[in-house]
Amino acid sequence: MKIMTCPLNGPRNISEFTYGGELKQMPDPATCSVAEWADYVFNSENLLGVVTEWWMHTPSNYWFLAERHTGSDEILRTFDPRELFDQRVDFAAPEAAQ
Amino acid sequence: MNRLPAPMGLLIDRNKPLTFSFDGNACQGFAGDTVASALAANGRWLLSRSFKYHRPRGPLTMAGQDANTLVQLPDEPNVLADECPLAAGLAVTPQNVNGSLEKDRDAIIGTFSRFMPVGFYYRAFYKPKGMWKRWEPLIRKKAGLGVLELRFEPTYHDKAYLFCDLAVIGSGPAGLSAALHAANGGAKVLLIEQNPVLGGSLTYARFGLDANVAMGLREELVSAVQGHANIRVLDSAVCNAWFADNYLPVIQGNRLYKVRARQCIVASGSFDQPVIFRNNDLPGVMLTSAAQRLMRLYAVKPGKRAVVLTGNDDGYLAALDLLDAGVEVAAVVDMRERSDTPGLITAVQAKGIPCHTGHTVYEALAGKNAQHLGAVDIRRIRGQGKVAEASTRIDCDLLCMSAGYMPVYQLLCQAGGNLRYADEHAAFSIQNLPGILRVAGSVNGRHDLQRVLADGQRAASEALADLGLEATAVAGADKDDSRVNFPWPIFAHPQGKEFVDFDEDLQIRDIVNATRNGYRDVQLVKRFSTVGMGPSQGRHSALPTARLVADATGRSVSETGVTTARPPFSAEKLAHIAGRGFDPYRQTAMHRRHVELGAKLMPAGVWQRPAFYGKAEDREACMQSEARHVRERVGLIDVSTLGGLDVRGPDAAELLERMYTFGFKKLAIGRTRYALMTAEDGVVIDDGVACRLGEQHFYVSATTSGVDRVYRSMLKWNAQWRLNVDIANVSAAFAAVNLAGPLSRQVLEKVCTDVDLSPEGFPYLGLREGKVAGVPARLLRVGFVGELGYEIHVPARFGEHLWDALMKAGADFDIRPFGVETQRLLRLEKGHVIISQDTDGMTHPAEIDMGWAIGRKKPFFVGKRTIEILEAQPLKRKLVGFTLPKGSSKPLEGHLVLKGPDISGNVTSCEYSETVGAIIGMAYAGADQATPGMQIPIRVEGGEVVQATVVQLPFFDPESQRQEL
Amino acid sequence: MSLTIREHAERSPIYDLHGAAPLTLLGDRLFVAGSIDESEQLQRCALIDLSNLPRVGFRGTDSAAYLQRKGYQLPEKPNQACLQSNGEQVLRLSQTEYFLLGSLTDGGARIAADEAGWHYDERQANYLLPRQDSHAWLALSGAHLPELFAKICGVDLRAETFPLGAVVQTSVARLNAIVVNACTATLPVFHLLCDRASAHYLWGALLDAMDEFGGKPAGIEALR
Repeated sequence: MKIMTCPLNGPRNISEFTYGGELKQMPDPATCSVAEWADYVFNSENLLGVVTEWWMHTPSNYWFLAERHTGSDEILRTFDPRELFDQRVDFAAPEAAQ
Repeated sequence: MNRLPAPMGLLIDRNKPLTFSFDGNACQGFAGDTVASALAANGRWLLSRSFKYHRPRGPLTMAGQDANTLVQLPDEPNVLADECPLAAGLAVTPQNVNGSLEKDRDAIIGTFSRFMPVGFYYRAFYKPKGMWKRWEPLIRKKAGLGVLELRFEPTYHDKAYLFCDLAVIGSGPAGLSAALHAANGGAKVLLIEQNPVLGGSLTYARFGLDANVAMGLREELVSAVQGHANIRVLDSAVCNAWFADNYLPVIQGNRLYKVRARQCIVASGSFDQPVIFRNNDLPGVMLTSAAQRLMRLYAVKPGKRAVVLTGNDDGYLAALDLLDAGVEVAAVVDMRERSDTPGLITAVQAKGIPCHTGHTVYEALAGKNAQHLGAVDIRRIRGQGKVAEASTRIDCDLLCMSAGYMPVYQLLCQAGGNLRYADEHAAFSIQNLPGILRVAGSVNGRHDLQRVLADGQRAASEALADLGLEATAVAGADKDDSRVNFPWPIFAHPQGKEFVDFDEDLQIRDIVNATRNGYRDVQLVKRFSTVGMGPSQGRHSALPTARLVADATGRSVSETGVTTARPPFSAEKLAHIAGRGFDPYRQTAMHRRHVELGAKLMPAGVWQRPAFYGKAEDREACMQSEARHVRERVGLIDVSTLGGLDVRGPDAAELLERMYTFGFKKLAIGRTRYALMTAEDGVVIDDGVACRLGEQHFYVSATTSGVDRVYRSMLKWNAQWRLNVDIANVSAAFAAVNLAGPLSRQVLEKVCTDVDLSPEGFPYLGLREGKVAGVPARLLRVGFVGELGYEIHVPARFGEHLWDALMKAGADFDIRPFGVETQRLLRLEKGHVIISQDTDGMTHPAEIDMGWAIGRKKPFFVGKRTIEILEAQPLKRKLVGFTLPKGSSKPLEGHLVLKGPDISGNVTSCEYSETVGAIIGMAYAGADQATPGMQIPIRVEGGEVVQATVVQLPFFDPESQRQEL
Repeated sequence: MSLTIREHAERSPIYDLHGAAPLTLLGDRLFVAGSIDESEQLQRCALIDLSNLPRVGFRGTDSAAYLQRKGYQLPEKPNQACLQSNGEQVLRLSQTEYFLLGSLTDGGARIAADEAGWHYDERQANYLLPRQDSHAWLALSGAHLPELFAKICGVDLRAETFPLGAVVQTSVARLNAIVVNACTATLPVFHLLCDRASAHYLWGALLDAMDEFGGKPAGIEALR
């Protein structure tokens, strides 16, 4: 069984983790086009190469990010999401966005 | 008994004789024998009949690597006799025999073999259509493999992890040397050996003119390994696969070890390869290593007069072994023109053994006993696979054959290793292994003993370095110059019966014909001919098949390659894979009370919940009577399985606004509000009730099966949003009941004195904290079943106490517990939707009339944009309520709703309601079928179509007056 | 006077599995009593239900300061435990989360008081987690703990990789669980915390795994 290194708990069987999908940038839901929104919701890049994915260590409910090569299935790096998400995200009121 | 003196017989204990039987005849053996070795000691060489032609078969490998030794034990078919330890009183019988093993009536099939080419079954018995069904039972009977014991008792099998720095697979000279070197360097080593003794080829092979060298070396290495504090030995254990990151399933006895090794060295050795010539399957013909195993391991003399057929120098050494054991060696037949070791042939000839270089055995001939070897026909080799006309006949009862060695590459290929065939060595080598996996010894192309030992040390040093341990640098050993494989040990005979695959009775022409049928790829040849699919899994057939296919298709062996070697490496039982089953289940704090009250339990996810109270066969009556009791008096249901989340902090309301469709910022403290959750694609995924306990504190319920997903989803979103809020999953921490019915307030008043329970003091949709039966509780006035009711949540430790107190307080009011099925009926009467029962993977809020639960002025919630897009489009389907008259056929969940010839939806819930006096249900129907008063056709069991009437929801108490009392 | 469960509002999720084993009171909480004669069993392999012993969790950026004010010693890093002078264990599960296990010495009175005394202060990011109700608490003891856990858990719990005071959050017999190495000088002990509602299941799975080591249920007396 594959081993993944959780930034909080260390190396563990992959069965201890829950996959959370690829990291995606959400377009501004108030202003983007329907096509852009549909692409964000339904489509996946499915790259051959290094992708960044959400994973959760299930026993500790800890979400983190992993860089993985989809060809070799090698996990290159795992890290706390604070590296990318260090600020509070707010959504503008619809009126303000328009 | 035929036994050689010690030191022959490494495995047997001559002080422990055992009696057993084969085919009803009593036989003698020793503890440590296998069934096959004991039978050989009793002069019994015929063990089985072959799978297809029922040809007589005897031991081929003596190592559990061929199907020739498959026998039947009383409680187990298909046991390998050369692997199965002998036990006192064991009753062994042959299998796949019609009549007796000696006179198998089905042996006649072999006479017709040329009328039964590969693919014969598919082509002969499948036409006309339907014929296979008639032929199959007859053919299956002829090709039977043993008899199952249907009255068997399951035995206990389990699994365990085993952690080590380094796993060494195989304890031959390379494995022993690697294990010792690594252990000396400080690594914790796990040494895995398939056989009961360590040593691998050192236990049976002769590595030089002096037979004592190997034996002495084995003793030296084994005692060092066994005394080493850093080495744990698993013997009689087989590593059956390689999985990612050195996860190795190792079977020992009834346990499957899940070995986790930081580093791994595979020293799995190599398989002795047969020579392909006519009648090479005749009992008495065996691999050279099999004869050596018989002598060294079991002290069994493998024959009286032997011929050794070889493709390398080891055959000469084996001849010396035979001579030492008192076997007359009639000849060494060497397929090569000359030996690689100067003086070797002279030394052997000096012992009086005639040597024929450049020759091969062209045919094995049966003796007076038609089921055993009597002589061989030897010929000069005149080119690839071609022999001279002139024939020499040599009488013998034993033919030892070895064309060379095939690396035991199975685990390595599973690790992603590539096999490459080097023409100059006529051998495979392996490239491209992951960094944490190394090979050593003959699997790595080293055959000379000193080189093998050095290779083990080299691999260990590399592993030590990767483990971060101090490693003494070791010079690696070069590949041997000597060539151990004869390039074309395949000699076709006009009359055939040169077996490439003994398991499947495949001859040279079967493989060649497969290529002529257009199956040029070796994988297709395998599937068409079944080569390599038998119990030996290509151990002996893969290499000759690769060579034959390469030759027949004008390609190199590297180009054709070999078939994929998938796990498991050796046969494993389903019991090993299953192990001891782990099936977690969850019970609420009141579970014991449900059992005492005679509940019919049902699974709800991993929970065990009461469906209703009473016998399974009384379902309908129990449900209706429990439902009536809730409508008329008071009932109590355990709702502890509901999910619960405590959301606290300055952004608690903000988080809920983003996660749920409704608005929560303006929800008053002490009030509750329905909470509907959608995914980004607008699909309804969960619902619950959000209770505001404080300005910064919400308690949100979620569905039993959905709460974990809801919780994870909240955590994941907030890992991005970084709101100042804490989300705690407190599902298991709260035990909860719903006390429901017109008398529920009176019951509660008896056990709850610090909360004003009056309709004004604690109105519908209110929330209070107080004490119930002396324990802290959260009380919610909710109306899921449509009656006055209180959900009471208490810390789980008090759950049973709460139940007891309410049942006691309710005794005067005739309180009755009710189950989940009853609750489902009650809520159906009220038209309440259960997420994931009445919704599916496509349901968006408008389809279930939940537009009212959407906060449209909010800047954002998950799914908002998608819902806006969906709502701008015409509705395609809708969840509707329907009724059918009592006595009509009752639709079941999943039954289809029709619209003309098309399917427009399906039934999601349906029950008979005594309260309504009709069959009521909910179903998806086309948007144009959804107006109350319309008829929707529903196809029920048996294809009958019933016409249901669409009605306005709810079915009961449309003004919802009862729950707001 | 014999003690009966019915007279106590707080109940272990698996009290019915203890059969007729004699009970004892620590403060006003019930436990399987056992006896000092069980010491040998504990040294070999034993399973003890501590679910009625108080425990509580705190989480938030202000939790560390709060607990230090309360006089607790905190582990330096996540996944470590810190033994308090009175016998309590403070587990650190993440940067900001703590799990406090009560002591048999005072029957968990200190932890219970801290739980009862906590009030949500909206100016503090320090949130109480009801760990006594969310989790069951089992203690396992004896010479074979790493081997025993290897049968039900994929993490290497041998002393080299799981020393005294180490904490793992992992899967045990397919359940999420927290395991703490709480060995004493005289007795190897691991504490196991798992979903309260699954305790009934896990108790059986553990006894099954312990069978080959002669494992048996025991009471608290020999653990004190």
